[in-house]
Amino acid sequence: MNGAQHILQAFNRHQIETVFGYPGGCIMPLYDALVDAENVEHVLCRHEQGCALAADGFARASGRLGVCIATSGPGATNLITGVANAHRDSVPMLVITGQVPSALIGTDAFQETDVLGMALGIVKHSYLVTDAAELPAIMEEAIALAQSGRPGPVWVDIPKDILLTDVSPAAITPAPTATTAPADISDALALLSKAQRPLLYSGGGVSLAGAEESFRNFAGQSGIPGVVTLKGIGNHDRQDPFYLGMLGMHGSRAANLAVEACDLLLVIGARLDDRATGKLDGFAPNARVIHIDADAAEFHKLRKADIAMGGDLSRLMAQFATAINAAPLAIDDWQQQCRNWCATKGFQAADNDEPEAPISGPSFVRQLSRITSDDTVIACDVGQHQMWVAQHYRFNHPRHHLTSGGLGTMGFGMPAAIGAQFACPGKTVINVSGDGSFMMNAQELATIRRYRLPVKLIVMDNQCLGMVRQQQELFYDNRESQINLDDNPDFVAMARAFDIPAISIQRSDQIRRGIETILAYDGPMLLHVAIAREDNVWPIVKPGGSNRDMLDESSQRTPGIRQPNGENPSTNAKETAA
Amino acid sequence: MNTPHQHHIHCEMNPEPAAIERLCQVIRVRGFQVTAMTAELRGSRWEMTFTVEGTRAVAMLQSQLEKLHTVTQVRTDAETEAEPARRLA
Ligand SMILES: Cc1ncc(C[n+]2csc(CCOP(=O)(O)OP(=O)(O)O)c2C)c(N)n1
Repeated sequence: MNGAQHILQAFNRHQIETVFGYPGGCIMPLYDALVDAENVEHVLCRHEQGCALAADGFARASGRLGVCIATSGPGATNLITGVANAHRDSVPMLVITGQVPSALIGTDAFQETDVLGMALGIVKHSYLVTDAAELPAIMEEAIALAQSGRPGPVWVDIPKDILLTDVSPAAITPAPTATTAPADISDALALLSKAQRPLLYSGGGVSLAGAEESFRNFAGQSGIPGVVTLKGIGNHDRQDPFYLGMLGMHGSRAANLAVEACDLLLVIGARLDDRATGKLDGFAPNARVIHIDADAAEFHKLRKADIAMGGDLSRLMAQFATAINAAPLAIDDWQQQCRNWCATKGFQAADNDEPEAPISGPSFVRQLSRITSDDTVIACDVGQHQMWVAQHYRFNHPRHHLTSGGLGTMGFGMPAAIGAQFACPGKTVINVSGDGSFMMNAQELATIRRYRLPVKLIVMDNQCLGMVRQQQELFYDNRESQINLDDNPDFVAMARAFDIPAISIQRSDQIRRGIETILAYDGPMLLHVAIAREDNVWPIVKPGGSNRDMLDESSQRTPGIRQPNGENPSTNAKETAA
Repeated sequence: MNTPHQHHIHCEMNPEPAAIERLCQVIRVRGFQVTAMTAELRGSRWEMTFTVEGTRAVAMLQSQLEKLHTVTQVRTDAETEAEPARRLA
């Protein structure tokens, strides 16, 4: 068995049945072996970035390992954005690239790039295989490492000669699973019992740890109000009366007010990202902090925690729930306060009842949320539409909301939806995109067509790079710079060119019909939604500002909301804050 | 701006093609500057010492280094204030 065949055997052993890739010179031995592979479906995307992002979407939607494959040189460099995306959001991913033959490494050979060096900062770990005998152990280790602890991408770069060399795998002994004693949570419980205004602040770490259920139990049984990060959306039960929504730059006023007022913050599976916390000085100024996370390097990184706890999140949540059941908290006033905030300062968006009115982004998303079923998966792109989805779509599970959080990668949505549809063939998967983002990986329409994936594509078209336009309007004196997209292609014709049916809507009274039409169609379909160019995402905290200084629609007309750093806009016109 | 401090870091690591780069990159990205280093392959282990300067807490750097898969041990010495001539701009 050669190295390439061994890789496929490792896939089989780990029940890796779907991989996303693109062939080329140095990875040809693996593609040759794929011809005879029985249990591996190889999905040919149309760009390596599409492969990596599809593998990412596959992993996010399912919790399983995403795998992508590319050749050396341009194949590997094209993967970079997708791998960085997975790294920033801790997505378990295995990346396999061919490399030029060992003897040619360092000679500037055709399609040689130093992949190992290039990818160091965007992987959990990486390998350059220098000895065929080590390949079996490296594959085992890479697959395990990508999924253990805080997950992330692991990159294995394999010279072509090693793919062709005989490897005789030593017997693989599965690593023993570590058992840990229950954690001592007494200090944390002592803090909790004294708190009058405790608040849960949960993030993507909850679902990464498979702790969705135990988190909900704890939240439900304790009655502690909760806010979530962008990646924590879906952590709370939709019916949870004390759930305040997303916090941060585009969070709800209710969530940001609660963070400001709380006296104890329980940070669970989150890393206190700057888009969530705003300026740190003003963040939860009155609170003590209990930080629970799988990655100890996150503790005290940005905010000193009074108590930091690593370990199995699911088990910890169960321990907390048991303890709280035995000694319930008396926080009625605080709960009532949070409910009031929720009712008066949550995300509001009035549906426009006037049939002829142009479509507003938030109201479209709210209707989408009402019409789609509970287990629909939404893969977003990046921009205003992404924030409207985060604010107004009512998710019931964190794995139903696929969004590029840490990296904010335009072009994420369509490939991620492709990956999600492979991972969850029975579910409705919708890509909600903007007209800018859609064009970043539009080539993947060909992948949707080829595999007849029933992915629904929604393009919210405001004929501009909306999020950048909004920040230019608010913080750069309305000096629009390179955001105009009024020469967009005809998206309907474009989809049809890929044999994907498409319709377009422009008025509020067409929203329901439009959504129902694409959902009812048995196959992929695109809905082009013309929305107002001027729509903004509200509220907004200016970049670098404190969450308490949220701006809303009334501030739009207030002169003097200017540069994020307070400087004169004219000296800094080239900076982009988005 | 905070005064930069000097720290000594001792690191042990399994050999791998990118061992030294991996460490140096983390040190740089996390906000420290290497002012001196030694590295020696002893048997099956890299032993490295770094003198670094930076304004951030060295504990933060230590926990990032410990996270690296091939790093087996990290020790940091008590910090000393960097000599004025060496201070970062
Ligand atoms: C690859 C990439 N390039 C640039 C950006 C900066 N950026 C953030 S949002 C945005 C505009 C997105 O426009 P569109 O997809 O049309 O969405 P809208 O904001 O209009 O809803 C840009 C350019 C980015 N996040 N990703």
